[in-house]
Amino acid sequence: MNCLEFRRDKLADPRRLPPEALAHLDDCAACRGFAAEVDENEARLAAALDVPVPEGLAERIILRRKTGTPIFAKASPRLGMLAASVVLTFAFGILQWQDAGSQDYARLAIEHVMHEPESFTSARSTDPELFRRVMHTFGGEMQASLGKVRYMKLCPVPEGTGWHIVFETEDGKLATLILIPAKRMKTDSEQAQVGGWNAVARPGGQGFYAVIADSPDALAKADELVRQRVRWRG
Amino acid sequence: MIFSLHSRQFDQTARAYGADLYRYAYWLCRDRFVAEDLVQETFARAWKNWARLEDLAAVKPWLIAILRNEHARLYERKRLDYTDDDPQELDLPSAVQAGAHLELEQLVETLPETYREPLVLQVLGGYECKEIAGMLGTTEGAVMTRLTRARQALRAHLETGDRARRSI
Repeated sequence: MNCLEFRRDKLADPRRLPPEALAHLDDCAACRGFAAEVDENEARLAAALDVPVPEGLAERIILRRKTGTPIFAKASPRLGMLAASVVLTFAFGILQWQDAGSQDYARLAIEHVMHEPESFTSARSTDPELFRRVMHTFGGEMQASLGKVRYMKLCPVPEGTGWHIVFETEDGKLATLILIPAKRMKTDSEQAQVGGWNAVARPGGQGFYAVIADSPDALAKADELVRQRVRWRG
Repeated sequence: MIFSLHSRQFDQTARAYGADLYRYAYWLCRDRFVAEDLVQETFARAWKNWARLEDLAAVKPWLIAILRNEHARLYERKRLDYTDDDPQELDLPSAVQAGAHLELEQLVETLPETYREPLVLQVLGGYECKEIAGMLGTTEGAVMTRLTRARQALRAHLETGDRARRSI
């Protein structure tokens, strides 16, 4: 077996190498380095694919067998028959970011938050230094901390990739900050209220940012915090 | 008696494989609510046909096959449009564009389904190329090619991302 054949086998199934590939590995230092790198990426890949499973899923499946009726998690919107159309609506929503009219930036930010409720219940990418770098890359210089970052995730948007960030303010409230690379907003700010959520969108950095909170009072405080503690370039 | 046996088998299967099926469904549709819907429909359909299951040891691939059909039905598709594009031409977002912090999860999401599905089956399910080929109705060689290209594409983007990160 030569190096090319070994690498093809390793990439096709890193955990199961045929005997001739294992023999090649013993003799080739370069391929040992390659294999180590693939194994490292494979571990990262496995961790990335291991998404959290809704609590009580098996019990709901079993209950359905017993009752004949679908049972869904209390917090889950029942998408069921409309699943495909909801997915399309969500995709459509994303496409609307760039051409949003008055109040649409803030409204779409709320809809995005509502679609990702796990952002409030799971910890993800909470490194403050990563947050600072993300803000810097987007065009925001941190003058002081916004609080404890609880969740950060990249979200696809038409002009690239936006960031969905949840942080805990100093008074213990959760607020969401969404960074969207887009054309400049035409107004200084837009506000929206949807489903008990409140949002304000403002131009900043590579496009605009939106702050979302669960009450007008919490929004006002979180918005003020962002305005005081982030200096936006551009 | 048989009903009781089947009920017990079904419940054990739901507990053993519900989570795996959910993750597989999630990576097919990339929506957690739709994923749970797919898993519930899959098990409901499996229960209706439980008496026809001949080999309990083959229940997981059987459930995966049902889930794939449910997913295809959801999107009213007859089959997947398999592609053999060169990995350099895969439409993955640029790491630089994403601010050098592009996450692996995001990269996997952007892989075409024909690359993503065998990758998920192998990494999460631990299946061999031959088994995946059986599930997807294609050849072992085609699966190997797709897995190789998927990993090459991810590798290239991860390297770009790491380089960009170091340059900040």
